Amino acid sequence: MITITLNGEQHKIRDGSTVDDILDIIGAEKQRVAVVVNENIVYPEKHSSMVLQENDQVEVLAFVEGG
Amino acid sequence: MVNKYVMNELQIGTYRFSSRLILGTGKFGNVQSMLDAIRASGTELVTVAIRRFNREQIEHDLFAALSTIDGLTLMPNTSGASNAREAVRAAHISRELSGSPFIKVEIHPNPQHLMPDPIETYEASRILASEGFLVMPYISADPVLAKRLEDAGCASVMPLGSAIGSGQGLTTAEMIKLIIRESSIPVIVDAGLRSPSEACAAIEMGCEAVLVNSAIAVAENPEEMATAFAGAVKAGYKARKAGIMPRSGSAVATSPLTSFLGKAT
Repeated sequence: MITITLNGEQHKIRDGSTVDDILDIIGAEKQRVAVVVNENIVYPEKHSSMVLQENDQVEVLAFVEGG
Repeated sequence: MVNKYVMNELQIGTYRFSSRLILGTGKFGNVQSMLDAIRASGTELVTVAIRRFNREQIEHDLFAALSTIDGLTLMPNTSGASNAREAVRAAHISRELSGSPFIKVEIHPNPQHLMPDPIETYEASRILASEGFLVMPYISADPVLAKRLEDAGCASVMPLGSAIGSGQGLTTAEMIKLIIRESSIPVIVDAGLRSPSEACAAIEMGCEAVLVNSAIAVAENPEEMATAFAGAVKAGYKARKAGIMPRSGSAVATSPLTSFLGKAT
């Protein structure tokens, strides 16, 4: 297991987990979201291949209402 | 450069919109009410924000909801950013999500008054314009800053009418007139408008569009209010094109000043 920070909270995930796995775990796989790992945008075509590392800072963002 | 007097469409960069009303999507009671108001308004450009994905709101997919309306372009904002660096980052993420080149640069670090930070706003706008964004900065009604932002490559400037969500109306009207006089990019009043008459006045004075959120979203009937704002904006533009009469310092009679019932005048 490794520890990552996901949207500000620490999570333990399996070694070898990809961005897609994380989206699946939090239930975001069906919604349009943007993923940022260590301040770099991870584009959708990389979601299935990018393996997360110990201490990665992961942000999953979506559109919300705003003026 | 936008020709302010012959174009019926709103042009921002190479984009053209048939409506001069831009809607914010915040504060609506529910998604259906927001969608009804957007449709009723006839707008083709709406603002959205980005925030952390919330699994509690998994069924609440704003992007999917807005996608049900044809011809709608998204203008993500950078709300939540407290400096230029954060705003630039928010813009990059938003473009990835929206596919839209529009970005409303909005940096207001003080939640008490939500006044925009001119220095951080300028810096973020300059960077994003150089990267090809159509930058729409939310600013105080400052003609000097507006001109600097135009020179930095912004697609528009969006001076506030009054504080965000305050409903105080066009308290900055005289400053906005100065911005319009000097500007060759669209000037769009953003924030503070309360009623359709204020939107009409903004367009009459030369603004190319208005951005309205709270006034529609918190109305008792948002859909009807959206229709009212749409009509007001059209009336304002028609009046401007028709040529609004000049003010006179004294009375000018509308009836002939000739003899009446035998009395000589």
